Amino acid sequence: MTELIKEEKIKAALEAKFPGVISNAAVQRKNRVWLDAAPAALPEILAWLKAEGFEYLSTVTGFDEGENLGAFYHVNNNSMVVNVKVNTPRAKPEIPSILSVFPVAVSYEKELEDTLGIKVLGLPPGRRYPLAEDFPVGQYPLRKDWKTEDYLAQQAALKTEAK
Amino acid sequence: MSKITIPLGPQHPALKEPENFMLVLEGEQISGATVNLGYNHRGMEKAAESRTYLQTMYLLERVCGICSHSHTTTYITNVEELAKAEIPQRALAIRTLIAELERVHSHLLWLGVAGYEMGFETLFMYTWRDREQVLDCLELLSGNRVHYSMNTIGGVRRDISIEQKAEVSRRIKFLEERTRYYIKIGTEEPTVAARTANVGMLPPAVALERGAVGPTARASGIARDVRKDEPYLIYDQLDFKLITHNTNDVFGRLVVRVLELVESYKMIHQILNNLPEGPIAVKVPMKIAPGEAVNRYEAPRGEDIHYLKSNGTDKPERVKVRAPTLANLQSVAYMLEGGWLADVPLVIAAIDPCMSCTDRASVWDPKKGKMALYGWEEMRKLGIEHYKKRGVNFSGL
Repeated sequence: MTELIKEEKIKAALEAKFPGVISNAAVQRKNRVWLDAAPAALPEILAWLKAEGFEYLSTVTGFDEGENLGAFYHVNNNSMVVNVKVNTPRAKPEIPSILSVFPVAVSYEKELEDTLGIKVLGLPPGRRYPLAEDFPVGQYPLRKDWKTEDYLAQQAALKTEAK
Repeated sequence: MSKITIPLGPQHPALKEPENFMLVLEGEQISGATVNLGYNHRGMEKAAESRTYLQTMYLLERVCGICSHSHTTTYITNVEELAKAEIPQRALAIRTLIAELERVHSHLLWLGVAGYEMGFETLFMYTWRDREQVLDCLELLSGNRVHYSMNTIGGVRRDISIEQKAEVSRRIKFLEERTRYYIKIGTEEPTVAARTANVGMLPPAVALERGAVGPTARASGIARDVRKDEPYLIYDQLDFKLITHNTNDVFGRLVVRVLELVESYKMIHQILNNLPEGPIAVKVPMKIAPGEAVNRYEAPRGEDIHYLKSNGTDKPERVKVRAPTLANLQSVAYMLEGGWLADVPLVIAAIDPCMSCTDRASVWDPKKGKMALYGWEEMRKLGIEHYKKRGVNFSGL
């Protein structure tokens, strides 16, 4: 795979720099690198990537995989996207904040807290985002066990529309 | 001087886009600004999980009224990557054509909005009139002005005939002529210069730090464009320039957008003249093999990124959408600080936060139980009759 030199180089450099912290690193195709990371090392890994030219955090994708919740951090250097995945147990979901590395992440981190109930350690308090002000606290709609039908059934005002 | 905090929005701050800005004012000067969002969260990512891949495509088309093609293209690129589908070249070319027409329509719309916000309403009237030409092109090709639904999983829904090619080409030539005039206005007209120069400054270092995308970043001298950085569709076969400007202000954003119009016209002609022959779609199975994909797309407002995870069924496991405006709003807070209250609408509009519009209405008649669709001519007739009853006759216009 001669055409994937850049991708393999980043993967090898990450594995050499963070032994034991990074697992399942893989080059999916041209310009796409995926890896799993331990949550505690997340800010450090992203800081290293930023110093290597991956200056731009496209977004953070939260997910629910049953046992684990977690998030993907999609960083790129304009052409190559590195997707860093962190898992956190459903019983106590916690991920450190990356605001010290990427200040832009504030709305993405709020989204993790609001839609998936992942506690982002170090995220300053503030107005909720993106859910509405009157959306019930403690309900996390992007979790797989959250069902739209159940929510609508609780809303007396919406009864006529809930079909 | 004592500081006053005033809210701007969420109802109609500059555009009909629900977002709230808390502005800290010292006299007429802004010393701090925070952006609050979430007034328009529609839960589309959750809704996508209970719909099939094809239904999700139509759902995601409705993320935005202007970037409708951008979102579906990004999404189906993900789906097709996971399904390992080989998309015919003709379909990719048609997708690129619609994408560039969409960019022309969006940039002309923005130019009008900017004209309106700077108090130059003639520019608004001119550009929105000319924008009808590109909307007509889109209607001709896809059957609709805003939600084109040109994409389908595996290709595109409609082919392009020789007559359609000639008509699009004719209208684009007219727009090229008009755009030369807008470039002249944008760069020479004193009103534009007075209202936009040194307004909403965003130095390159800040643009990088705050992750600005699209024309907002390019007007701060950052050469960031997914079409060049990671070519998708058929952009690697097209000849176009990456436009940047170095004034870091609203004026720069205006220059970048009008010059990008010229590049888009160039690309449209290239595609129309070299449209590959062949089928326009391939069959893709309903069930998509398990996997994950991330794809990016240069929407008119900047980088659009989608993440898709499939679990082997006919419904996606997780869809994540990040539209360019969210990435750019971080920069707006910076641009506002230190500026004047009167410039706020212009600065907000300068990143082109997206809104949707359409000029036809469907009317439900409960007596007959029928749906009637009103086009432009009927709406015009209705309007004339409405005023005639009230003693004003517009029929001569």
